[in-house]
Amino acid sequence: MADVKVKVQPPDADPVEIENRIIELCHQFPHGITDQVIQNEMPHIEAQQRAVAINRLLSMGQLDLLRSNTGLLYRIKDSQNAGPVSFFLSKMKGSDNQEKLVYQIIEDAGNKGIWSRDIRYKSNLPLTEINKILKNLESKKLIKAVKSVAASKKKVYMLYNLQPDRSVTGGAWYSDQDFESEFVEVLNQQCFKFLQTKAETARESKQNPMIQRNSSFASSHEVWKYICELGISKVELSMEDIETILNTLIYDGKVEMTIIAAKEGTVGSVDGHMKLYRAVNPIIPPTGLVRAPCGLCPVFDDCHEGGEISPSNCIYMTEWLEF
Amino acid sequence: MTQAEIKLCSLLLQEHFGEIVEKIGVHLIRTGSQPLRVIAHDTGTSLDQVKKALCVLIQHNLVIYQVHKRGVVEYEAQCSRVLRMLRYPRYIYTAKTLYSDTGELIVEELLLNGKMTMSAVVKKVADRLTETMEDGKTMDYAEVSNTFMRLADTHFVQRCPWVPATENSDPGPLPPAPILVISEKDMYLVPKLSLIGKGKRRRSSDEDATGEPKAKRSKHSTDNKEPIPDDGIYWQANLDRFHQHFRDQAIVSAVANRMDQTSSEIVRTMLRMSEITTPSAAPFTQPLSSNEIFRSLPVGYNISKQVLDQYLTLLADDPLEFVGKSGDSGGGMYVINLHKALGSLATATLESVVQERFGSRCARIFRLVLQKKHLEQKQVEDFAMIPAKEAKDMLYKMLSGNFISLQEIPKTPDHAPSRTFYLYTVNILSAARMLLHRCYKSIANLIERRQFETKENKRLLEKSQRVEAIIASMQATGAEEAQLQEIEEMITAPERQQLETLKRNVNKLDASEIQVDETIFLLESYIESTMKR
Repeated sequence: MADVKVKVQPPDADPVEIENRIIELCHQFPHGITDQVIQNEMPHIEAQQRAVAINRLLSMGQLDLLRSNTGLLYRIKDSQNAGPVSFFLSKMKGSDNQEKLVYQIIEDAGNKGIWSRDIRYKSNLPLTEINKILKNLESKKLIKAVKSVAASKKKVYMLYNLQPDRSVTGGAWYSDQDFESEFVEVLNQQCFKFLQTKAETARESKQNPMIQRNSSFASSHEVWKYICELGISKVELSMEDIETILNTLIYDGKVEMTIIAAKEGTVGSVDGHMKLYRAVNPIIPPTGLVRAPCGLCPVFDDCHEGGEISPSNCIYMTEWLEF
Repeated sequence: MTQAEIKLCSLLLQEHFGEIVEKIGVHLIRTGSQPLRVIAHDTGTSLDQVKKALCVLIQHNLVIYQVHKRGVVEYEAQCSRVLRMLRYPRYIYTAKTLYSDTGELIVEELLLNGKMTMSAVVKKVADRLTETMEDGKTMDYAEVSNTFMRLADTHFVQRCPWVPATENSDPGPLPPAPILVISEKDMYLVPKLSLIGKGKRRRSSDEDATGEPKAKRSKHSTDNKEPIPDDGIYWQANLDRFHQHFRDQAIVSAVANRMDQTSSEIVRTMLRMSEITTPSAAPFTQPLSSNEIFRSLPVGYNISKQVLDQYLTLLADDPLEFVGKSGDSGGGMYVINLHKALGSLATATLESVVQERFGSRCARIFRLVLQKKHLEQKQVEDFAMIPAKEAKDMLYKMLSGNFISLQEIPKTPDHAPSRTFYLYTVNILSAARMLLHRCYKSIANLIERRQFETKENKRLLEKSQRVEAIIASMQATGAEEAQLQEIEEMITAPERQQLETLKRNVNKLDASEIQVDETIFLLESYIESTMKR
């Protein structure tokens, strides 16, 4: 009698059954299961059927594919994660995987956004494809393009509902990618005036020098409060913004700064120290060289006796002598 | 010597001493030390004239001589000393503020004559002062000698080196050039002279003509009878001491600007106490205790010891770092940080030039790079809060003016520009040198312009001089008002106007030269102090 090779059809060869079993397994192991585990559970299913089931689950968005150092892991997507994705799925029914991939990459970039060239590197898709996909996503209002303030030609993409990060828009000093110089100038002058009046009142009080000097100082917190109360800024300014403005005053040579150790908890102290600012005068009057026309002359290097430009026929000197 | 310095020296020598001295002087500056015959040969002037010119230059301490081996004497010009001639007005003015008119005239005579004996100075100054005094009063020699001794005590004038007296009776063959020596302690030793006399007023022209020749004759005879008691002891002005004084002044005024009057007085007291004890090139003064300072404060400044201590602590804590605390004995030992002070003054000069030339935003960027030492383009824009385009423009302007320099840090061995860091930095020493060179050229330009203006109006000046001479002689012979009027009208009103303008311009240019010289002083002191460390 010949042996009859009977292909035993396993009882749960039904694809839906397979998927359900896999989902149950995933729920059992919320950290993810490897392919090996599935194989052990359902030894009678062939690899191909298994692969089909897993792919279906992935495309339906019920499983997450992760890579660990041992191999591939499948993890159930929990309901929270499934939320926007299902929303997204409902919109993207029929879109191909490429778009999903691109969307994933952009989502990962968070609120800093990602440049189109970086998307290309990460997804290995050709440029034309990327552009098409990006246009698609933009028209579906899933992503938006934000112009970066650092390089004005560069556009970074981020999810539609995210607020762009400060480093991209420039923070309080930029409005619509434009550096607001007048705003900075106005703040500059106001801070300086505040410090100047403080120093004046201190000088006039004529007490002993220590007190005089200490009262002419203003901490960055005080200046910040003053500026907020002045209300000249439409945008909310933080103490760090005010400190950058005060730093520009230091570079103007009008203000000097000292750092003192302050107890934690005193108003305005950061990490145990406070910055104090004081208006000062320059230590020398404008120097002698600039009082002569030669000090400011733009054609100084061309000037020599007997030439086109010479001290004898210098027009700057003539003008200066007529004062 | 740079071209600008040589040009300036030549202009100065020409103005003060004339063509021949200028030719010899400039030749020596250009070629270094040379023997007599080579100078005569190269410049094409006769030996006699070269000798006379060298005499003048040596008398004024502008040229020194040295005996080389094989008995050749070489002469070397000192370019920096020639440039000091610009500062003569400032020296004289300082002497005036410290020692009033007498001191002013003493220093003026010494500077104009190079070296002089004390008796000659005293006599001349007394005569000059008597001129200016009212009729009947004369200046006593003793007063002038007193001022002279005070000047010597505070080291503003010093003795010139002399030939040491040889002990052996047989001198042997004379060396080709005398070797001059001077010892430290003898430098300010005033010889004991009893100069008795009063200043002689030059007889005014009011006296009748016969009286004049007689008086003149008698004056001559008296001169010849008196032997000069201090022959061979010559004095010269001590320029280093004046420089020390200027430096102290600059530091005190900087402190007054930054803090208040009282602090500057304290610093002035400290500097005065260290005048004699600290050598002029030292980076720090000697430590002074707070008790000593309290005792030496000028009378009339009654601040209590406590307040003084507070001021000293404030000075020591100030970010300027002019004053430092070096110990706690004697109520606190304080030093003045001279090198740092000169550095701050030089930096402030640089900043002021950048501000005036390029604008206050450029000055902001300049100070920023100065403080942070090395910065990238992007960082400059961020810290200074200036839009990128403007910041770039300003940085390049300052770069081409050599105030800022670029430091490249390559990322790859091939210095590909796209993969290199470019950092902006300020090198104070080289910027100071560059500015100094510019100052020299500016002064040369100002002098040239002054000479040009004078030359333009030479005809007019000569005419006015002639008219003045005529008026003076007519007044002497007793002319009437009407005739004087007539002569004065020879100069028409527009010409008078022109003369006025000329005088104003020349004064302005002169004043401007002195102002630029102040900048030169600060920069030179800073460079000297840095090179010595």
